[in-house]
Amino acid sequence: MTLGGTLVLGMGNPILSDDGVGLLVAGRLRESPLPDHVEVMQSEVGGLRLLELVRGFTRVIIIDALRSPAESGRHPGEVYRYEAKDFKGGHRYGSAHSIGLDTCLEIGHKLGYDMPAEVTVFAIEAEDVETFGEELSPPVAAAAERVFALVREEVGAA
Amino acid sequence: MKKVTVDPITRLEGHGKIEIFVDDDNKVQNVYFQIPELRGFERFCVGRPVEELARITPRICGVCPEAHHMAATKAIDQVFGVEVAPAGRKLRELLYNTFYVTDHTTHFYILAGPDFIMGPESDPAARNILGVIGKVGMETAGAMIKLRAEAAEVISMIGGKQIHPVCGLPGGVSQAITAEQRDRIVEVTAAQVEFAKFTLKLFDDVVLGNSAYVDLIKSDMFTHETYYMGMVDENNKVNFYDGKIRVVGPDGVEHEKFDGKDYLAHIAEHVEPYSYLVYPYLKSVGWKGFTDGKDSGVYRASPLSRLNAADGMATPLAQAEYERFYSTLGGKPVHATLATHWARLVELLYAAERAHELATDPEIIDPNVRNIPTRIVGEGVGVVEAPRGTLYHHYKTDDKGIVTNVNLIVGTTNNNAAISMSLKKAAEGLLTGGNEIREGQLNMIEMAFRAYDPCFGCATHTLPGDMPLEVTVKREATRDVVASVKRNM
Repeated sequence: MTLGGTLVLGMGNPILSDDGVGLLVAGRLRESPLPDHVEVMQSEVGGLRLLELVRGFTRVIIIDALRSPAESGRHPGEVYRYEAKDFKGGHRYGSAHSIGLDTCLEIGHKLGYDMPAEVTVFAIEAEDVETFGEELSPPVAAAAERVFALVREEVGAA
Repeated sequence: MKKVTVDPITRLEGHGKIEIFVDDDNKVQNVYFQIPELRGFERFCVGRPVEELARITPRICGVCPEAHHMAATKAIDQVFGVEVAPAGRKLRELLYNTFYVTDHTTHFYILAGPDFIMGPESDPAARNILGVIGKVGMETAGAMIKLRAEAAEVISMIGGKQIHPVCGLPGGVSQAITAEQRDRIVEVTAAQVEFAKFTLKLFDDVVLGNSAYVDLIKSDMFTHETYYMGMVDENNKVNFYDGKIRVVGPDGVEHEKFDGKDYLAHIAEHVEPYSYLVYPYLKSVGWKGFTDGKDSGVYRASPLSRLNAADGMATPLAQAEYERFYSTLGGKPVHATLATHWARLVELLYAAERAHELATDPEIIDPNVRNIPTRIVGEGVGVVEAPRGTLYHHYKTDDKGIVTNVNLIVGTTNNNAAISMSLKKAAEGLLTGGNEIREGQLNMIEMAFRAYDPCFGCATHTLPGDMPLEVTVKREATRDVVASVKRNM
């Protein structure tokens, strides 16, 4: 573990169509040249297990699929950048997260863990996270390219 | 008629929706429980080598991947007609019991804890894991987090990967453990036995020491007299990994006992037009609707069911707790749905003791962990007790071992009819009409649901647990919202 470094964490489920996008982007990032302080991981679960993954890093960048309610007017392939505080009670589809991101971070702080000072989330609006499959929908596949570049820029690799 | 919607249910693995229809006087007319559907699982599996299913099926759900991995591996053993090497079998069971320790612990502190430790009608802003931490103290919270981390360490030692184990192969497991690893596992499992004892003590103090909770647990609105299903060993003791399926009636007497491979002769599925999730029932009794009693084929498969369906626990401390459970609650069987929380802790103690027992078994470091298969039989049914109920994986393949057919009955699905019944009865007991509907009442209706620890990761997509909740009361005729309650929004 690069203590004090930046963790790029791709999340999702690799067999539920667009939900695999975070894992895919993280996989591609891992293959690309990145600064030494950056570590890339993929996680298919969240909740409390996330706590163990993020502790010790100064900064965490999460990449995951998002499904907003129909009335939000959002479209598949749109990319949203959030900070951890934005997730307080927010709607979000990921894979099995037993507790939310904000709760997880707060527990870590309460337990006196060395928790990241900064958490950024790149959320990609998904078209389908309910059909078993390993293919991304075209708008989400295109978004994966953009997020790959955005994260590289974010960690100073571009 | 007005409609009350509890959507989504808080603190649950998955997106469920409860709709309560009330008349103009707020009296319950009917309760529907629905979940969305995941599509195309069978199509996704067909055409793949059957060994892949042990790696694919755990991905249906991030909550109990170990249960799917074990059921799949056992089904694949049968597809290849291979006996499992004794050390391989023990390693599988050790991994599985360690997983139980972490799953049951998490349920108690994160999902059930808020209702009991904070109180069912306490301020929803504090009725969560953070409130629980504040109440039980940092030391306990830290011990719980440490237990989870150590269990994950053991699971990755045996399973090869921390999250989705990959160790199960037809005939055994992929690798043996070393003596050093064994020593570490002995240490970890011993600590888990202590933590389980501590947690039962906490339950004693917080729940059993409070007569209001005991009355709530025993109350009629949280009671159903159903059949109970659970896996038992050759002595009719609870076993999570292997054994026969035993079903007892509402009177506690054995109704039937069968091999997992014969499940289709014993379980049938009822379908309702409003739900994607089927309602399994006992074929020998028949479907009589959403009703309990000896004439209704509705059964439950949960920690409480497993205790009811067995004659005891196979480890000494858990057995003592099992006896205390029944003597406190008035003998066998216990029909009180909320007693499931206590039953889960009895199982937690058993799982920790059993894991420790296996870790100290000299054979656990035997390097012969796998028998190599030499033939293909083409069909297998793997059954384990998942934390949330009996889990069936049934695969058929062609003569090359390529999947042609997949059928699963997942833990939560077993309880689908009982969950609907429990919700309705709790709603009827709590919403007695006339008064305004309070958030705390709706939370208590959800408690009927949370006792089953339902997890729809297997059947639907999942959401973060600490999710927003919106309860709306609508007038049936006009669909106008007449009242609404929001939290976490």
